[in-house]
Amino acid sequence: MRVIIGYGNELRGEDAFGVDAIKKLQKLGLENTKLISLHQLTPEVVLQLLDANEIIFIDASYDEKNHYALACSLTEQDNLNLSHHISPKTIIYMLKSLYDKKSKFFIYSMLSCSFDKIKDNKRYKNSIDAVVKQLAQKSD
Amino acid sequence: MQKKTIIIDPVTRIEGHAKITIDIDESGKVEDAKIHVTQYRGFEKFCEGRPYTEMPALTARTCGICPVSHVVSATKAIDEILGVTPPKAGVNIRKIVNLAQMLQSHTLNFYHLSSPDFIYGFDAPKEDRNIFKMMQTHPQMARDGINLRAFGQKIIEDLAGKRIHPTGIIPGGASHKIEESTKEAILEQVPDMLKIAQSALEFFRENLHKFQEEIDYLGAFPSLFMAISNDEGTLEHYNGKLCFMDSEGNILKDKIEPRDYKEFIGEAVEDFSYLKSPYYKPMGYPQGMYRVGALARVNIAKTCGTPLADKELIKFKALNGGKPVLNTFYYHYARLIEMIYAIEKIEELLKCDETMSDNVRSTSTVSYERGVGCSEAPRGTLFHEYHVTKDGIITGVNLIIATGNNNLAMNAGVKQVAQRFVDPKNITDGALNRVEAVIRCFDPCLSCSTHALGIVSSKVEVRDHNKKIIKVFERS
Repeated sequence: MRVIIGYGNELRGEDAFGVDAIKKLQKLGLENTKLISLHQLTPEVVLQLLDANEIIFIDASYDEKNHYALACSLTEQDNLNLSHHISPKTIIYMLKSLYDKKSKFFIYSMLSCSFDKIKDNKRYKNSIDAVVKQLAQKSD
Repeated sequence: MQKKTIIIDPVTRIEGHAKITIDIDESGKVEDAKIHVTQYRGFEKFCEGRPYTEMPALTARTCGICPVSHVVSATKAIDEILGVTPPKAGVNIRKIVNLAQMLQSHTLNFYHLSSPDFIYGFDAPKEDRNIFKMMQTHPQMARDGINLRAFGQKIIEDLAGKRIHPTGIIPGGASHKIEESTKEAILEQVPDMLKIAQSALEFFRENLHKFQEEIDYLGAFPSLFMAISNDEGTLEHYNGKLCFMDSEGNILKDKIEPRDYKEFIGEAVEDFSYLKSPYYKPMGYPQGMYRVGALARVNIAKTCGTPLADKELIKFKALNGGKPVLNTFYYHYARLIEMIYAIEKIEELLKCDETMSDNVRSTSTVSYERGVGCSEAPRGTLFHEYHVTKDGIITGVNLIIATGNNNLAMNAGVKQVAQRFVDPKNITDGALNRVEAVIRCFDPCLSCSTHALGIVSSKVEVRDHNKKIIKVFERS
């Protein structure tokens, strides 16, 4: 099964990218795909991923230069200094080390520097459409 | 030697952003240390002008970890404004959700934030002192933490609609009754969850002998304690009156109606932090320093009121011969007892026939211009005070956040641990970790207390007596 997790805060402008992408994906009725919408990644999320052979994370990532570009990065700022939420890298590590699950995973990040409001609605929606299109094709 | 200041920025494995400064005097000894909360939010101001009906949803956004506490205190404040008494089922649903949140929050602190210190020790290389290493060496413990948190989060989702920012706790009670199938599903898991919580406490207790110096110097000092307490003297998180106890166990003042909190709690403002410093007014500032949260609650409670937690409470109270336990390190111990209590109490409340009633909500219109809601959040006593027009528009808000209550004590703890462990001539990572660890004992939620824009640096700065930076340590 494929699991797609979109996460972010709908009150923080373009941080809602992952959540908005999931809303759009929900309308497509993708087969063999579980969709999860979250505020943030927390440790217990791994329990919803135990049956996944492919995991896709969708979020927004801070970048001042390449606004609305789609990227994939596993770089973490403070991977040892855990707070109350965790990163995709930690989730994948948890699955592997605690549950012996070695799933394929992908990260779709929209680069943004606007976490107060959606700066350019058209470009924001285009970015969502681009991710949704790719994931829908992947499903086919 | 020149006067110097060491800055730890950011403080790690806590929620939110803070830095610590350590001032070195001219003789080379630690003179003072402070925690600076560098975030700012402003909820009290921007809630003004909003209809009272929005307050639970608005104030829940204060935090992604303890939104339930804000929803509970907000709805209790609005209950007062409406002049309604929620039906028993509504109250019990609120209590269960509140306990489920406490369970998941304490679980996160113990398993994911603090246990690396307990497993590897405070002087272990920082590369090892984290959850990744813990998953390698103690995988079952890591899985236990995940299961316990999932249990708490699922209860919140099932009973209150959403895990984060739940919508099912509303003014007058709760939005919907508990389904029989939900009740059974929760009860089915209780024995396994209790085993996990008990084994966590056992692990902690078995390892305590390794941390005698931390027990003695990580914020071990006399202070007052505050919590809400009920008529039976059992552990209470939802309903009750305020109680202040001194470090000898004497009750200074109890049966204080939460709506009268301002008569007893003052809020000082210091220029080095966005976090206010509440204090017990009759003793003045800063002498009126008090502690809240798990340690305060178990010190003030005579019993837990549930069998397994009560057995643990007896052992806990024996630590200081029946007098209040003053060691901040034992916040961890107190949280573990509360985890056991929460699971037992959730079971008890679910098995109560009245909890399953269809009658979960009372309704009314604005009857009073002021309401105060008070509950015990994971980190301590939480106050929401609202003022409204007769049309229900918010004209004033005052929030005393649980973490804020501990501000003076956190500063006292940082100073004590810095004076004990930091050698200005040889500043080790273990010493800096202990300075952070005393803050972690309180499990502060700084995002709740204030808020920043989120850019964090990772360095320790040494400054001379003119505050000029003369040395920088990278922390992460």
